[in-house]
Amino acid sequence: MNGSVRSSAGLVWHHQRLVWWIFAVNLVLGWLSSLPARMSLSAVLDHSLESSKLVTGFDGGAFVMLMQRPELRVRSLASGVVGTSLIFLVYLLFIDGGVFTVYLEDRELNGTEFFQDAALFFWRMLRLALYSIVPFGMLVAADNDIAGYARRLSTDAPQERLGLIVNVGSKLIVLLLALLVRLWFDLAQAQVVRDDERDVFGTLLHSFKLAFTSGLYVKYLGIGSFAAVTFAAGVGMWVYLPHPATGASFVVLELVTIAQIASRLWLKAASARWVGLQTPDALPAPWNETATETKSTTPP
Amino acid sequence: MAASGAAQSAPLSDRVVAYRIEGVYNAKTHALDATEILTYTNKTGTTLDRFPFHLYLNAFQPKSTWETEAKRIGQRDTTEESARWEDKHYGSNEVKSLEIVGAGDVTKQMKFVSPDDGNVDDRTVFEIVPPKPVKPGESIQFKIHFVAKFPEVVARSGYKRDFLMAGQWFPKVGVFLNGAWNCHQYHATTEFFADFGTFDVKLTLPAKWNVGASGVQTGARDNGDGTQTVSFHAEDVHDFAWTTDPATIVVEDSIKLSSRTVKIRMLMQPAHMASAPRYMAALKGAMRKFDEWIGPYPYPQITVVDPAHGASAAGGMEYPTLITADTSWWMPKSVLIPELTVEHEFGHQYWYGMVATNEFEDAWMDEGINSYVQVKVMDALYGKTTSYVNSRLYTLGQRGAYLTDYAPVADLDPLSRKGWLFVDDGSYDAISYSKSALMMVTLESLIGEKTVMHGLHEYFERYKFKHPNPADFTAAMNEAVGQNLDWYWKQSIYGTETLDDCILKAGSERVDWYSKAPEEKGVTVYHNEVIVQRKGTFELPVVLEAKFDDGSTVREHWDGKDRWHRFVWDRKAKLVSAEVDPEHGYWLDRDRYNNSWTEKADRRASGKVAGYWTLLTQWLEQALSWLA
Repeated sequence: MNGSVRSSAGLVWHHQRLVWWIFAVNLVLGWLSSLPARMSLSAVLDHSLESSKLVTGFDGGAFVMLMQRPELRVRSLASGVVGTSLIFLVYLLFIDGGVFTVYLEDRELNGTEFFQDAALFFWRMLRLALYSIVPFGMLVAADNDIAGYARRLSTDAPQERLGLIVNVGSKLIVLLLALLVRLWFDLAQAQVVRDDERDVFGTLLHSFKLAFTSGLYVKYLGIGSFAAVTFAAGVGMWVYLPHPATGASFVVLELVTIAQIASRLWLKAASARWVGLQTPDALPAPWNETATETKSTTPP
Repeated sequence: MAASGAAQSAPLSDRVVAYRIEGVYNAKTHALDATEILTYTNKTGTTLDRFPFHLYLNAFQPKSTWETEAKRIGQRDTTEESARWEDKHYGSNEVKSLEIVGAGDVTKQMKFVSPDDGNVDDRTVFEIVPPKPVKPGESIQFKIHFVAKFPEVVARSGYKRDFLMAGQWFPKVGVFLNGAWNCHQYHATTEFFADFGTFDVKLTLPAKWNVGASGVQTGARDNGDGTQTVSFHAEDVHDFAWTTDPATIVVEDSIKLSSRTVKIRMLMQPAHMASAPRYMAALKGAMRKFDEWIGPYPYPQITVVDPAHGASAAGGMEYPTLITADTSWWMPKSVLIPELTVEHEFGHQYWYGMVATNEFEDAWMDEGINSYVQVKVMDALYGKTTSYVNSRLYTLGQRGAYLTDYAPVADLDPLSRKGWLFVDDGSYDAISYSKSALMMVTLESLIGEKTVMHGLHEYFERYKFKHPNPADFTAAMNEAVGQNLDWYWKQSIYGTETLDDCILKAGSERVDWYSKAPEEKGVTVYHNEVIVQRKGTFELPVVLEAKFDDGSTVREHWDGKDRWHRFVWDRKAKLVSAEVDPEHGYWLDRDRYNNSWTEKADRRASGKVAGYWTLLTQWLEQALSWLA
């Protein structure tokens, strides 16, 4: 298993151009979404002595007063943030075909090949993403319900900490289930690309079983843990940076972002590698149900 | 306050009322069956022919004024949006019988009245007309059998599991003031008002349950039937609250102040013991500062109640010699809510407890003045910019926190508005607490910090154990500081004027602007100009500080009455910065960003905040990428 995790990490490393491209688009979109805010902030802060409260330290009162200013239009600016996030999602769905091809074939594609594959699979990736809203939505709804129950426990249960324990515990379970759902859909994506499969829904149904039987979930857990640890370490480091060190803060938090992108690609690479190593008849498909039962449980 | 019910000390107040209450608390039904004997002595100089009483717990009924207002404008624990009726929040004060001693039973003559809004379904005030009017100097005695049914904790009072905070639980007579009775209905935004007197309270409740109350404990008896009877005595106070909980841990200490040693008794929830030293340090610090700045604390004891989890609605409340705190088991050390709450509620022992202003009509006089002193005490104990939050991520001081509350609603309601007439609870809080505190902080810039504190000390000495009104406060302050500040009070207390001074325009230009000769530092003469605008409606004298590139600094003054003023300096130096209120003392100024101007742009702050904005967008993008 570790070898497989290492080999999929190797895929991410060898094709790190993908990480940098995704990061670049992520950063540019983030920067673009902040442009209107940047201009408003600049008009308020750049020639004001009050702004030093946000540089030498971070004064909560000064920050809230800043956010309350009508010219900052925080709500409308926030809708811009949501907009750019959706653009980034569409971008990722668009390149997914190319990304999986790179990992399945473990070779560099030139720009034409990459975008041909991207275009070829875009609608199928989009359909898979739309399907994924159902299980993810169910998880979010369950999390909301449990959080509400936990809040009631926090006030009503004789044990003061019970609510928090239930809340944290349930969130952990929801997170683990979300990882399982992601594995399920990653496997479906990889199969669709490898086999140029047009029956997206059928592939999805059959990759569901694989999510449990492939043995990949443990690897997903390991990679997810890596993402969590790097995130915690990065944010922890950022907290201890002095307030005026804005450049260093930016670099540290962007490194965290890169680690998250790399982790997400690592998950895709792990799925792609596993699918790529299966013979086609080893994969569960509507036309080969028995093979699924007998072969797909064997890790490569 | 005496150590026992029998031993009375010399009165500090006029002691209009004497309450003797005996009650049995049923912990299963959360109800208290009690008999109250109230002796009222007419010290008004007027013959009294009727007596209004508060029945505060009747506020917690669906059609009451309190609940109606809570739904429409919010209350201290919920917004209007989140307010909803739940049966568990039902509470009541039911008068079973009312007798005027010597005149017989007058229960049937009780009449509910609604002096504020005419709501016939509100039963928080009733009146009784005695058969014989009570002449000045005479006393009348009421014997009232009542049942107090406590709600699950809401707005300061009630139970949560076994915990009970009994506030506003007994029929309480109104205050005869300025020739009329003052006995308002219980409103969602208002607090309380009552006369000074003595309280002797005897409570029977489950054995071994810890009990805390106003005053001092004078006796305890195990009844041998699973119950205990505990007695308390309080004097020169105008209210009495008590609490019980089998789970609490009692922490005791004492503090030696200038006039006496005061016993500190804290009833802590076991899960909150980590907050006990924090409460204690804040309380002792506050007691010392009040002793030093305002006046002596005259009572032998102060009790701090730490409410059970889920009962935070009972937290952060003041009663005479008893306060409720607020914390949780996970409270970070960097968030000073436990300290802040204890300090604030202890401050109310002065501004409410002793200087007993009308909380219905003049909320700012207790909440606001107390909030100002809270700023000073918390500054002294925990630092000016770190007295609210002191974390590595960000800091927050009292002034900044108050300004963020006040600025968005600055011109909605005047301080002088009656509590229940504010546009909503948010405005009531922001104006009564925050604006008042900022008004006093701003006053420091005009007359000096020590002068303000001296004025407050004199005001306290003059009006302790009395019921002053706003005019009494302003007159006392004017006299104490030796200045007529009515122009300031008029704008800040009685008006909705807002302060927003700004630099409208600033810059430097060569005097010989037509010359083609190159500029030469120290030789070329510049016309430097700053236009200060009074954007708001509040008129305050303005101080402007201008700095030049030769290192020189000038301070100029303007009376701040016109809408703008032009400052001009022709000198061999260029302006590098200009700032109104350079000492940063005008905290009523609702926009501090436009108070200054710098010639050179410093993009670090905008870059930092915009950088975080970029990053948050990136992370939101990352979160959504789980779908891809």
